[in-house]
Parts: sequence; C-alpha cells; structure tokens
Amino acid sequence: MDIRAQVSMVFHLDKCIGCHTCSVACKNVWTDRPGAEYMWWNNVETKPGTGFPTLWEDQNHYKGGWKLSGNNGSRKLELRSQNKLDSFVKLFYNPNQPGLEDYYEPWTYKYADLFDSELGTDQPTAIPVSQITGEPVDIEAGPNWDDDLSGSPIYAENDFNLEGLSEEEREQLFEIERVSMMYLPRICNHCANPSCVASCPSGALYKRGEDGIVLINQDVCRGWRACISACPYKKIYYNWKTGKSEKCILCYPKLETGQIPNCFQSCVGRIRYLGVLLYDADRVAEAMKVPDQSLVESQRSVICDPFDENIVALAKKSGISDEFIKAAQLSPVYKYVMKWKIALPLHVEYRTMPMLFYVPPLLPVMGKMDNGIYDNPVDQFFTSLDKSRLPIKYLARLFSAGNEEIIESVMKKLMAVRYYKRSLDMSDLDIVMVSRMMREGSTTPQEAEEIYRLTALPTIDERFVIPEIQREEAIESSCNPELCKGSCGLGINQAPGRGL
Amino acid sequence: MIDSLLFIALPYLAIFVGVFGSIYRMRTAPMTYSSLSSQFLESKGLMWGSLPWHIGITVILLAHVIAFLAPGFWQSLVSHQTVLAAVESIGLGLSILCLLGLIILGLRRLTSAKLQAVTSVMDLVVILLLLLQVGLGMAIAVHCKWGSAWCSGTTTPYLWSLVTFQPDVTHISDLPLLVKAHIVGAWLFIFVIPFSRLVHMFAVPVEYLFRPPQNVVWTNPRKFNADNQHFVKEEARRHFLRAFAGIAFGGFLLSVGTFRNVFSFFFGPRLGRKEETELMELRLSRLESTVGQRKLELERQASNYILVGKLAELSPENGKYFIDFKMQPAIAFKGKDELPLLISAKCTHLGCTVGNKVDQQGRILCPCHVSYFDIVSGEPNAEAPAKAPLPHLGWVIMDERGKVLARRDASGKTSGDVQPELRVTARVYISKDQEGKA
Repeated sequence: MDIRAQVSMVFHLDKCIGCHTCSVACKNVWTDRPGAEYMWWNNVETKPGTGFPTLWEDQNHYKGGWKLSGNNGSRKLELRSQNKLDSFVKLFYNPNQPGLEDYYEPWTYKYADLFDSELGTDQPTAIPVSQITGEPVDIEAGPNWDDDLSGSPIYAENDFNLEGLSEEEREQLFEIERVSMMYLPRICNHCANPSCVASCPSGALYKRGEDGIVLINQDVCRGWRACISACPYKKIYYNWKTGKSEKCILCYPKLETGQIPNCFQSCVGRIRYLGVLLYDADRVAEAMKVPDQSLVESQRSVICDPFDENIVALAKKSGISDEFIKAAQLSPVYKYVMKWKIALPLHVEYRTMPMLFYVPPLLPVMGKMDNGIYDNPVDQFFTSLDKSRLPIKYLARLFSAGNEEIIESVMKKLMAVRYYKRSLDMSDLDIVMVSRMMREGSTTPQEAEEIYRLTALPTIDERFVIPEIQREEAIESSCNPELCKGSCGLGINQAPGRGL
Repeated sequence: MIDSLLFIALPYLAIFVGVFGSIYRMRTAPMTYSSLSSQFLESKGLMWGSLPWHIGITVILLAHVIAFLAPGFWQSLVSHQTVLAAVESIGLGLSILCLLGLIILGLRRLTSAKLQAVTSVMDLVVILLLLLQVGLGMAIAVHCKWGSAWCSGTTTPYLWSLVTFQPDVTHISDLPLLVKAHIVGAWLFIFVIPFSRLVHMFAVPVEYLFRPPQNVVWTNPRKFNADNQHFVKEEARRHFLRAFAGIAFGGFLLSVGTFRNVFSFFFGPRLGRKEETELMELRLSRLESTVGQRKLELERQASNYILVGKLAELSPENGKYFIDFKMQPAIAFKGKDELPLLISAKCTHLGCTVGNKVDQQGRILCPCHVSYFDIVSGEPNAEAPAKAPLPHLGWVIMDERGKVLARRDASGKTSGDVQPELRVTARVYISKDQEGKA
C-alpha cells in the first residue's frame, strides 16, 4: 500500500446560485494575462447545456480520458487517444484539439472612445474589439453563452448527457412550464489517475506528491497540447501567446500559506468544501478497471479511513506529515464522500478518478408544478422519482456513469434529512412517514443532524480544513506568486514570454 | 577565396552556432523551447500545410542524411538504374508536397489576422529560407539530374572533409551554381536554428515512449529521505548512461576515421602510373639509406678499433663527439698532457647527451636538468640532479702504419708516449679490449 494525501473538494450543487463570483475571482488573479484571456480555470455551466468549451463531454470528438480494453481476464486502461504511438502520428497535426471557435474569441471594449469621440448628436459607444487582434469583432459566443438556459432549447438540447433519454423524458425536461435546470461549477478535478499527465509527451505535467495538485512545468512544456485532448474535462487550456498549456493550480501559493483558494473563498452560496483525503495510490489504476456501473463504489474503495491506525502508520511511513493526517481526520470531504456517501464524482466513466465531488441537486428533481402552483409533494416523491423534473437518468449520466441506483439513494438521503429537520421545526409531518423516509434514505437522526449542520450552518473552518504545510515545502518562499503568474511549477522564477 | 569563405568558414561557423546556440538556449531559456503551435487560432490551413510539409521534409532530410552517413550503402542502392529513377522521382514528388505545404503555411501566416498576432519576423524568415531551399532542391532535381548518384563523388566527400577537419573545397568547386546555392542555403539554415522556432526539431519527445504513465513529484524533504535509496539508484543509472554515451560518442568518432579510410580505399583518389612509379622510387631510396646505415653499424661492431679522430684535431675546449662500441655517445678532448681525454656523454641522471663545450671551470653541461660535469674527474657539481660521475674511456694512439704508440685503459693507466713529430699524423682509437675492462 502506498498511502498518499490529496487535497480534494466537494461542491454542494443545491446551494449553487450560478452567480459566477468564483469564475471572476479566479480570472482576476490568474488568467488576466495576454494569451490567457479566454481561459476560465473555474467556470459555471448551466445544465442541461453544452458547457465550456462547447460540447466538452463529447469524447467521440475530443477523445479524452481512459478507455477500458481487453476482455475480463486481462483488462487494460488505455488513453482514448494520445497513447504512445498515437502521439507521434498526431505530432504534426492533432485532429482532436479544440480550437478558439470551440471556446470564444476574447474581447474587450474601446472604452477610450467614450471620452475621445468628437462632439456629435449621437451618444458615443464603446465597440467590442478582439483581445487577440485588436480589431473590431462581432461577438458570437462567450464563456457562459447559454447561461440560465438562454437560447434554450437550441443549446440545451445539444447537451451530450441527454443521449439515452427517451423522447418523452426530453419533452418533459423542456416543457415550457416545467423547464428545469441546475448549475455545474467546474475546476480542475486534480484527478488521482490523470490522463493529462499520462499523455504529456514532454513529461511536463506532474502530480505533486504532497497534496496531489496537478501542475504543468512551463519550462518543460513544449506545447504539443496532447494534454488538452487527453483531459476529458477540457480543463487544460493552451496559451496562444506563450505557446504553453496552462491549468487550474488550486491556488497552491495560497494553500501553502494556509489560505483558502480564490474560488472557494469568494463563493457566495458557500457551496464549496475543501479537505484532505487519504488514498491508496497502488490501487488507483486497478480500481478504474471495473465496469461503468461499479466505478463510483470502486473509487470509494480506494479512499482510506484516516481514523484507522494501520492507515495512519502507513501514511506516516509514506512521508505524510502529522498535519496532513490531522486535516484528513477533520476533512469535510471525507464526511460527504465516504461517511454519508452523498457526494459523487463528475463523469467517473472517464476513469481518471476525479477528486472533486458533487452533491447532486435535490430541488429541481423534486419540484413539481400542479395547476400552476409550485410544490414539493412529499408523499409522491419516493414513489415517483423516475418521473422527476430533472430525470434521474440525466443526473446518473453526469455523476454515476449511468448507475441510477446511486443517484436515487443520494436523493432519498437528502430528502430524508430535509423532512427530518422539518418534522422537528414545524411538527406538521406524520412521524411514521418521516421515520419511513429515514429508513429508506438509510440514515439516522444523528447523521441527519450532522449533514444538516455541515450543509446549512458550517463555519469557515469547517468548510475549509487546510493542512499546515511545512515552510520548507512552500513554493512561496522561493518565488513571488504575483510575479510568477503563468509559470507554475516547482521553483521557477522566470516570467513567461513567447519564444523567438 | 569566396569559395573557402562559403564552404569552409560558413559551415564551421554555422555548425558551431547551431549546436552551441541551441544548447545555450535550452539551458538559459527552456521556456522558449517549443514548437509554438498556432493550431488553436487557425486549424484548417495548418492541417493542409503542416502535414504535407513535415511528411515530405522528414523523408527527404532522412535521405540526405543517409547519403552522407552511409555513402557506400547509398552508392550500392542507387547504382541500379531502376532504384535510382525511383529515388529521384519519389524525392521530386515529396519536394512538391513540401513546397505546397510551405506555400500554404506562408499564406495562412500572411492572411489570418489572428495568426499575425503570434507571428514574429523570424517565422517569416524561416518560411522564406525554407521556400528558397526547397525550390533550389527541386531545380537541382530537374536541371542536374541524378543528384543521388553524383553526390557520392562530390558533396559527400566534401562533407566528410569537413567532419575530419581537412576541409577540401575542390570536391564541389566545379559544381553548378544551383548546387552551390543549395549547400550555402543548408548552412544558413543550420545557422538560424537557435534563433528561430526551428529548435523544435530537437524537442522530439522520444522519452515519452519509455516513461511510465504517471508522474509524481515530491518536494517534501522527509519523503526525499525515505526515497533516497531509490534516488541513489537513479543517480548511478544516470552516471552509467553518461559514461555509456561518452564511450559511444568516442566510438562514433573512431568509426568516422575508420569509415573514412575504408571509404577512401574504395572511392578515394587513384594515383596515375607515373605518380605510382615516383612513389616507389622514393620508397626504394629510403630503404637503401637505411641499409647503408645498418651496414656501417655492423662493420663498426665487427672491428677491434673505432676511429675517434686525429690527435691533432682534438681541442681542449671543443669536444668531438663519437660513438663507442655500445652505440653510446662520448666526447673526445685534448687533455693538459697533450694526450686525448675521452669521456662518456651519456648523463648519469636520465641519459641525455651531455654538451661538448667546456666552460671556464673545465666543465661540460647536460642541458636537460643542468648538471655540470668536470671533464677531468667526471664528477658532477654539488647541486646537480646527477649524482654519479661520467666514466672515462680508454684509448689507443697509433701511427699511420698501425703501430701502437701509446694507450690508456679505462682506469686511467697510461703507457707509452707520442713523439712530438708524430703528433700531427697520429690517430686516436678506442679498442674493443679496453671496452671489456671499462
């Protein structure tokens, strides 16, 4: 067993209000540079929708992630593209790359025109100009172009996850009076089995041993862009100016000094949780070789119990500090993912073992419109989950590789917690019914109380349990992060610049 | 003059700048070392440009390199009429592919506004240089046909003459202007590598084929200590690889030399009949002189006496060198008693030949490590590195008819005397009898 620590995350989607504050907080600090304008290391998508970049989930086109090959006897994990030979074939031209048109052409406005234009009868306007060429540009797309189902159903109907839904279910989803949606904030998953690292021809991508953050060494990166194809979440971006790839760095200069990453700190809905998970690195690849239906369970089996004395001893042997072990024991992520089992990885079928988990949204699932009145009818909920507004099948495509049972069990537990608390506060519910719901949701009053506390009333120290990192391990001591934007990696002090 | 500038000075400069410039850039600015893809901003043109260009140029460059590195193999390959025709037509076809690709690559750089945001002057210079070079190559293929055959007598030996540091422009000085321009273009191309995007040629990710899929980096010193065992192993492996690479490179250099000899045996310049005869005569005369010398030595060793010189020729200051029976140098002086003084000239320190000029204190100097030897006693001076004295040799004085007048053995015992009237004609010898006693 090789125990490793991973700084991992939980996003509670029921609390997300889709305000994009996280995206802006990230943009202002990390991607406000030339070449990086179009990058959104953190973005918030409306689901159903096509996402950013457009249709990133379509792996038939982008060929990201791992695929399972071989028969039962000898299953093998292979990169869907960009494996050893494939990389050389695609060296001179890579057909699986997203282009600028799959994101959007970044633009700004000619604000100076507002002040400099000559006196006239018309109000002066600031026309949009491209941030690449500086020429006036027709804005055709943006990073959240289909926000809040705008333009629906043109965009939303193309959602890749709607495949497999019946015609009836689709109609139900987009029926004008019942239309339903959810928000999906996305950052790099800092996967435990990253396909981007495996695909890098230059060996520039690496996973930090201490905290599992995946980074790109800009000095080693040769701009082959294999990682961009290979990352199924399209969370690696090509900087067109420096000719290098860049990605979310989980604000490691902040983490290393005990501060909270920008997108986490700025979150208005307080949906984000950060904590340490211990996992067995030796079992990662093996665990990702099971059939789609069992992937969520398989991933859970790799994550270790930080209270187990054997695990703690092994972790210490692997060089994990006491601070990290303590943080793992206090981790809110461990509670959501392992103890309560209500947080699920996004698109686990890509087999990269993402370490960012989502609590699926309950509200759009249970809400009903009856005679023009929005209602949450309790009694029907458990019997009619299959007729919910946001189909369970759709959520299963997102969070459990199509396994609907897992989604249903999460929904039932979330529902049980909600009605248990209501029964305490309002006493308008039948005790027998509530206890039946608790049973079906396989939860207990204590657990329901704990879930309620951490979901609704957590303090900042409960949401973000950041281990104290040793000073000698901090990058910050050798490099001013403000000066080294875009040159993330170990101990690099050179500012980025395009070559000759 | 212009030839040696373009075909000797320029290549060495270009290779020096190309190699060391690329290494310097890799070391000092590794971040700039990349292919700087523009596919993100413009994809379709890149596909139609980059693919034909790279496929064409890779094969064509490979053919150039093989013709240079393995001329024998190449020669045997293209000596078949059909193969030669096939090589030439494939080459021409691929160069058309290259040219089309380059034109598309150039056009997309010039027409797309987005691409202009990332295009440097050097990018355009490189495209222009490559266009020129490919154009010249095609012109050669059309106007100076069968280049893959005639290169083995012209450009290949020229390149090898550069490699072996014996540059010889005569191999190519009579070639048409087209070919010369193509060669100059190649040197210019190598020259601009470190200053342009062309460095991406050295970024071919070969190590990707052999590395494990995941890459984990630790900064933790505690983890580092735990992993130290592994690290030491890695380090040892690295040292081994370096040493291996060094030996391999040395082997390569050696084989270059050997290769050249083998090559020049088969394909090198041939001597005419007249030159061959002259060479044989030269060898014969050298052999004759060696034989003469050998004979002389044998004669000397067979005789009982070796002539040192006439007694009258000897001087007290200026010694006369001669060779004794052991083929060692010795010096003959005239002593104060008007009789010869023979002393070994082999320094007792490390065996240098001692000088024959006597200084004012009556000493001779060994120039190697400054030992002064008194010629009468043979003793070295106190500071000298030589500690033992130079031995004296015995002698025999005979008159013209071979009658012994006087003799002295190695211990310095003198017998007989030379009459003043006989001193003019008397000769000094060393004798074999005395040799044994010395």
